[in-house]
Amino acid sequence: MPETTYLEAIRQGIWEEMERDPAVFCIGEDIGIYGGAFKVTEGFVHRFGTERVIDTPIAESAIVGAAFGASLTGMRPVAEFQFMDFIGCAFNQIVNMVAKAHFRWGAPAPLVLRGPSGGGVHGGPFHSQNPEAYFVHTPGLKVVCPATAYDAKGLIKSAIRDNNPVVFFEHKFLYRRIKEDIPTGDFTVPLGKARIAREGKHVSVITYAAMVHTALEAAETLAKEGIELEVIDLRTLLPLDRQAIADTVKKTNRVIILHEDVRTGGIAGEVVAIINEEAFDYLDAPIVRITSKDTPVPFSPPLEEWFLPNVGDVVREAKRLVSY
Amino acid sequence: MSKKPAPKPSRSGATGLQNPTNPQQRTYSIPDWRAERPDFRIEQVREGEQVRYVVHGDLSAPAPPVRESKYLTREQHIELYRWMLLNRRMETALENLYKQGKVVGGVYFGLGQEACSCASAMALRKDEWLGPMIRNQGAMLVKGFSARDIMMQYMAKAGSPTFGKDASSHFGDIHERHVVSPISTLGDLIPVLTGVALGARLQGRNIAVMTWIGDGGQSTGVTYEGLNFAAVQKLGLVLFVENNIWAYSTPTDQQFLCKDLAERAIAYGIPGLIVDGTDACQVFDAAHEACERARRGEGPTLIEAKMMRMKGHAIHDAAQYVPRPLFDYWTRRDPIARFENYLVNVKKWLTADDNAKLIADVERQLEEDRDFAVNSPMPDPASTPLETWCDGCHEIKLTYDVPRYPNENKDAALKKHEAAVHLK
Repeated sequence: MPETTYLEAIRQGIWEEMERDPAVFCIGEDIGIYGGAFKVTEGFVHRFGTERVIDTPIAESAIVGAAFGASLTGMRPVAEFQFMDFIGCAFNQIVNMVAKAHFRWGAPAPLVLRGPSGGGVHGGPFHSQNPEAYFVHTPGLKVVCPATAYDAKGLIKSAIRDNNPVVFFEHKFLYRRIKEDIPTGDFTVPLGKARIAREGKHVSVITYAAMVHTALEAAETLAKEGIELEVIDLRTLLPLDRQAIADTVKKTNRVIILHEDVRTGGIAGEVVAIINEEAFDYLDAPIVRITSKDTPVPFSPPLEEWFLPNVGDVVREAKRLVSY
Repeated sequence: MSKKPAPKPSRSGATGLQNPTNPQQRTYSIPDWRAERPDFRIEQVREGEQVRYVVHGDLSAPAPPVRESKYLTREQHIELYRWMLLNRRMETALENLYKQGKVVGGVYFGLGQEACSCASAMALRKDEWLGPMIRNQGAMLVKGFSARDIMMQYMAKAGSPTFGKDASSHFGDIHERHVVSPISTLGDLIPVLTGVALGARLQGRNIAVMTWIGDGGQSTGVTYEGLNFAAVQKLGLVLFVENNIWAYSTPTDQQFLCKDLAERAIAYGIPGLIVDGTDACQVFDAAHEACERARRGEGPTLIEAKMMRMKGHAIHDAAQYVPRPLFDYWTRRDPIARFENYLVNVKKWLTADDNAKLIADVERQLEEDRDFAVNSPMPDPASTPLETWCDGCHEIKLTYDVPRYPNENKDAALKKHEAAVHLK
């Protein structure tokens, strides 16, 4: 099986879906001849043509609105945001026009809204955000955050085939930094299901996206001291896999929730509430949240380091929980 | 000596041409079909303790004659008249229902705007789409919804098109009638209808799609983004800018500086046109020509229809801020009264008797719809579809045809590329 980067896996997934279903098309800024700011759609316009790979003006609310309109005629658009930080420019179309359409008037919106999110790349406040919480908060959407190349390919395929609007966050730190052997050809990963990234027994780390790798690194360090971390990769944030969350708490009784998004209003709070509802009696210690600081993402490397969660945070908190 | 080459026509549909007498200038033309060009201005003026709106300008002229249509058949004239009557009388029935306490929430009226809703919608074909705004309920009737559908929406009944989940004109139908539901924020239908035309084109069809926006609504950013996208992609959006002077309580003098909103077409590079929005023939002809352009793949058209909103923003708003002379001027221009006079007295296509029968028939239909709607039940959460996600409850099907892509190259393989990471 060939070694494939996280980015290449996404590219393969979209390409294969476009070959499989003529209703799928791409729309976004600089996705045609340029191949996309991160080259996710490199080669697409040469293969699929200019009608099907559409370069738009800089107009995010038009991109989302037009994608929705096309979906009403049965098309399946894959709309790219050059950086997910810019998703705010289309916020009204997403939460008011698209997300409510099926509930209000029976119009499903089979769109994928995808783009790069996340920090650790010295991108500063407008090229590093994790905006997922705004959309987890919106009934009618689905929200997906893959952490591995395999999942990125399987999930983008599932997202394209899904009848609902899926906001698909591709962590830009992972684009070229992880490479895996993934199978060629068609396979999908289901939306709404978490994955056990590492089996363990002493402390659960519930996390997603780039922080999955931070947790796995911490697990290696902790294993040397006899502490076995269980790492749960949520993969889909809306709907959250309540069963997987409950199961891991029942197994280890001590939980860390780790995400790169800021603390206040981040989905760690939602996961804490779910644990309270599903598995309160199984807790042997308070639930710990490890998140970024409640500030915009700073630019200068030492400041960004201060801002982001790191392996040391996970190691420290896991040890503290074990001796609670 | 070789002649200077003729100035290249601009790529703009608004035909900005180099002025032959002054090469440093370009000129544009915006046709104006109106028989009259009233010039008035609304100003906020302090009068003693109060600040009120005052209108300046000559508002004495009587209503002009209806402009003869180039396209409507005699039967279509009568059909259009009936739609306008149904639109008007339905809204009167809604007002009565409200006063009887049977309506949930408020009522929105398109009084004085029936020609703009009905005549424009009639220009679309059955398989073409429209997206109505709150005062375009006449367009929804033309497209095949019934008065009882709209009444049940207002009364929040289980049998409404949204099963009680949304109010007023916030409903639609993708498969049969091709109506896109509006939302409460303004301008958002513009990129959506543009996208419908995009979807159709990918399926091999150049269709006309239609929506409306008010003098207030067109101020939003999404209006610009959507219309610009339609223009640069040459998608067949027929956009009626309904300049009815009042955006809630804000007059046009406080909304924009242009003399006429049709001028904005120049900025988008598309044709613009001004029509009298209270003249059903002008509205239909403008819509028809714009739809034909769209079907030929020539892109969008911006049609500014001038009229006035003859009631408040909604039923709770008495609109006492509207200066009386302005109200009287536009009352003389009631679109239904003008069209009725045209059909009965000018064209003599309806006798007084025919007219009375037509009106009675409309009333009878409304009475039936009203009784049905009033006697229908309220929704029960247990039997209302309340799923936010579609996981198989609806079929996603292509409206027109399987997309074909003549410019694709099936031999191009997916190559492995090093991704660009420009944030180091």
